[in-house]
Amino acid sequence: METVLKENEVNQKVEKGLIDCDVHPYLADFNELIPYLEEGIQKHMNIGRFEKSMLSNMNAGAFTFPKARYANPNHVLRLDAITPEGGVPGSDPVFTAQDLLDKHQHTYGILNIGHGTMAGYHNVEIAAGYTSGSNDWLYDRWVLSDPRFKMTMSVTPVAPDLAIEEIKRIGHKPGIVGINLQCINIPLGKRHFWPLYEIAQEYNLPIVLHPDCEGTAEYAPPNAVGPASTYAEWHTSLSLIAQRQIASLVCEGVFEKFPNLKFNFIEYGFSWLPSLMWRLDKNWKALRSEMPWVKKLPSEYIRSNVRLGTQPIEESFHPKDIVQLIQMVKAEDMLLFASDYPHWDGDERDSAFLHFPDDLKQKIFYDNAKNSYRL
Amino acid sequence: METMQASNSVSVVVCAAENLQPGQRKIAVVDGVEIAILNVDGELYAFRNRCPHQGVEMIYGTVSGTMLPSDPGEYIYGCDNQIVSCPLHGWEFDMKTGKSLFSSKVSVGNYEIQEIDGSIVLKVKREPKSVSLKNFRCSH
Repeated sequence: METVLKENEVNQKVEKGLIDCDVHPYLADFNELIPYLEEGIQKHMNIGRFEKSMLSNMNAGAFTFPKARYANPNHVLRLDAITPEGGVPGSDPVFTAQDLLDKHQHTYGILNIGHGTMAGYHNVEIAAGYTSGSNDWLYDRWVLSDPRFKMTMSVTPVAPDLAIEEIKRIGHKPGIVGINLQCINIPLGKRHFWPLYEIAQEYNLPIVLHPDCEGTAEYAPPNAVGPASTYAEWHTSLSLIAQRQIASLVCEGVFEKFPNLKFNFIEYGFSWLPSLMWRLDKNWKALRSEMPWVKKLPSEYIRSNVRLGTQPIEESFHPKDIVQLIQMVKAEDMLLFASDYPHWDGDERDSAFLHFPDDLKQKIFYDNAKNSYRL
Repeated sequence: METMQASNSVSVVVCAAENLQPGQRKIAVVDGVEIAILNVDGELYAFRNRCPHQGVEMIYGTVSGTMLPSDPGEYIYGCDNQIVSCPLHGWEFDMKTGKSLFSSKVSVGNYEIQEIDGSIVLKVKREPKSVSLKNFRCSH
């Protein structure tokens, strides 16, 4: 059974507030970053006066920005979000405010940078320099342009000491509401990340994980069993990453060590949550002795410390089944609305949540994000 | 806009043919229902402007061909310039039938349209109470 809208069938009711946990700002041109990058970083990245255009078409020899290797056969940015001047969707803060925030009556739109793949770059000095520059660009060009825009700050997950320096530098700024960490081949529960978690908890900033580096950065693990062949296979497999990371966080005792730290997994969907909770709970009952620091059911830690973006919302055969699934695992306080604007796989609030009860929509659209980001 | 009653449909003149050249698009609003009208290399197509999935405006969709159903490992391109895809998720519809490529039960809803005596003429089921053209941004 397909979810098919009748003409003009939209949810007319306006809930109290709307926090969109995934809006992507894009650079129209990498040269926009020049004022924010130290010359050494510019030189390494071959931008500005250090451009090496002669080598741009070679497969080696000049810096290339780490690109997502899987190509969407259609379009990766929604075509109805091309700016009036014909610019890249998401590259103009004023148009984005009109096309997204005004149109859907957003209270806040949380920006996760559209060029996050550099955070997991193999040269950590360059990765750290780039993330600092791009954070400053994002703050100046977007957050200061409209009080509804908030942002997560990027840090490199490869070098937590450099990430901590960056948090100390700008983590206090009021427009920053979370820390955008990228997925690398070190599971999130490992001690590698603990110093970073300590300062994140101190600053009351949640850790946000969002797909960017998967299968792209040199430190990115392949899709669970090996590289996918198609974009559809790759994209569908992203949800496995969140499941694997949450298992790591629970079993390593991160939620015992940092009880006030939230982990917001954005763009991994959520319909896999029951099987993860049920299997972890079952295993904990039998295997508790190898992780004695896990003192209560894994599902309880997950419910208190993990938040999941709803997008890309899974479309159950019967539209109302997805609501039952949420109720089954008591995940009402865990879900965060995310439009993913201007990406191709975003959800339209009015139609994607048509079958959700009002009290649940209030939590998903506003309350849960208010309680898990530094807002 | 003029309307003309035929046996079981009503003809609505959308615009002069010279105002819908190959590559150009219009949105007609007939009794509140938006209809996307396209001239693709001289072929005219008309279908509802809202994707049946999440209601996004189809007027911003790409017109192309697609990969035809094939055996594993084969890519066979076909239906060139006959497929419109939703600008958001990319759901593909055959503009000749309005039907989606993944299920014949899902359709964007198409309309008969033709050029008659220098005018672009749309066929609708009943006499409309209001007909107008709607502006849109389109840079592709």
